[in-house]
Amino acid sequence: MLDFFRKYSLPILVVAGLLIALITYSLNLSRTRQANLLERSVNGTLAPIQKQAIHSGGLLGRIWHDYIDLVDVKQENDRLKGELKQLNSALAAAGEALRENERLTHLLDLRKTVKEPTVAAMVIGEDITPWFRSLTIDRGSESGIREGMPVLAANGVVGQTAKVTANSSRVLLLTDHASGIAAMIQRSRARGVVKGRGDNLCSLEFTMRGEDVQVGDQVVSSGIGGIFAKGLPIGEVAMVKKGEYGIFQTVTIRPAVSTAHLEEVLVVLRVPRD
Amino acid sequence: MTGFLKGAGLVLVLVLVQTSVLPLYLTTLYKPDLLLILMVFLALRAPVSTSLPAAYGLGLLKDCLSGLYLGLNAFSFLIVYLVLKALSDRLYVQNALLLVLTVSLSTLATMLINTVLLTIFSEANGIFSSMLTAMLPHLLMNAFVASLVAVFPELGRVRAVK
Repeated sequence: MLDFFRKYSLPILVVAGLLIALITYSLNLSRTRQANLLERSVNGTLAPIQKQAIHSGGLLGRIWHDYIDLVDVKQENDRLKGELKQLNSALAAAGEALRENERLTHLLDLRKTVKEPTVAAMVIGEDITPWFRSLTIDRGSESGIREGMPVLAANGVVGQTAKVTANSSRVLLLTDHASGIAAMIQRSRARGVVKGRGDNLCSLEFTMRGEDVQVGDQVVSSGIGGIFAKGLPIGEVAMVKKGEYGIFQTVTIRPAVSTAHLEEVLVVLRVPRD
Repeated sequence: MTGFLKGAGLVLVLVLVQTSVLPLYLTTLYKPDLLLILMVFLALRAPVSTSLPAAYGLGLLKDCLSGLYLGLNAFSFLIVYLVLKALSDRLYVQNALLLVLTVSLSTLATMLINTVLLTIFSEANGIFSSMLTAMLPHLLMNAFVASLVAVFPELGRVRAVK
């Protein structure tokens, strides 16, 4: 008997093993959804290890992503910063273009209302001293400009040309002391001469004391003198003072055009009458 | 010739800065007079053969860029220059503080001469009040710029040449 087992030990073990495996399998067929002792032991033992392993795996992932994989981040950061700068520049340029477009549209609207031919010009310089008020524009006699031509902006009168060269002209602003424009109050038609005061304000001179002038009245060019066409906006009355004596009243005018930030102007090619 | 070209380049830069760059950042009242400062500097430190025509030329240039009256600043620059030149031999012209002081006094003198000339020869009534309003800021700005000029290392070279 013992010799039989010794002789056929291997086949017997194999068959026994297969039987045990088959029995184990068949016994568990009825409880496939429940964990048996072996499964509970194995899974219960492995679970904490797996938990640590999965955390370690996440840690490794983080290490990989946060450190090892960041080799090119500096370059990418630099590139993104560069792109951000470019985008900011483009944004600023777009804003500038938008504002320029608005200004030029206003200027174009004004151009349509002026009957005489006009030349658009860009302001390229200011007066060198604080007490004279003049600007330099980038158009001159080559563009048909001559001394004494009216200069307008979208809101109204700027001044008139003086000292014209081939490719530039000086514009004597209406706020300069040497400037004088025949004007009238739009509402009451009271006439006078708008003289510059040198401090970004003007005064309406030679307006009779009895004339109806009120604060807020619009002042427009009267067309007398032959330089400015009739009805161009000059400014609005900021103050009216009537003394007890004298035949004229003192009228202060706030110009319609702020010359401090003027960038484009329109020169009307209107030949002044001598 | 090189010196002339350098001088012309400097004047061009000053003019561009004053007429086209500074107005973008400074209000009208706070404009310095860079040409006046250059004139005072030349009057104190350069020989007559150079500084005399330069002073008149700078005045004319200023007239070309300001107001309507050609010759106004040329005249006042010349007067101020001659006074400064007459005094410069008796002054310690290397002193930086002196340049600030001289620029300040020259600013006042130029404004005074201009006012007198404008009052007598032009119809620009009320210019005096504008000048009076602008006087203090203009004076302070000129003094400030003169103090900056005094610390330029380039001045050392000018002294050495002289």
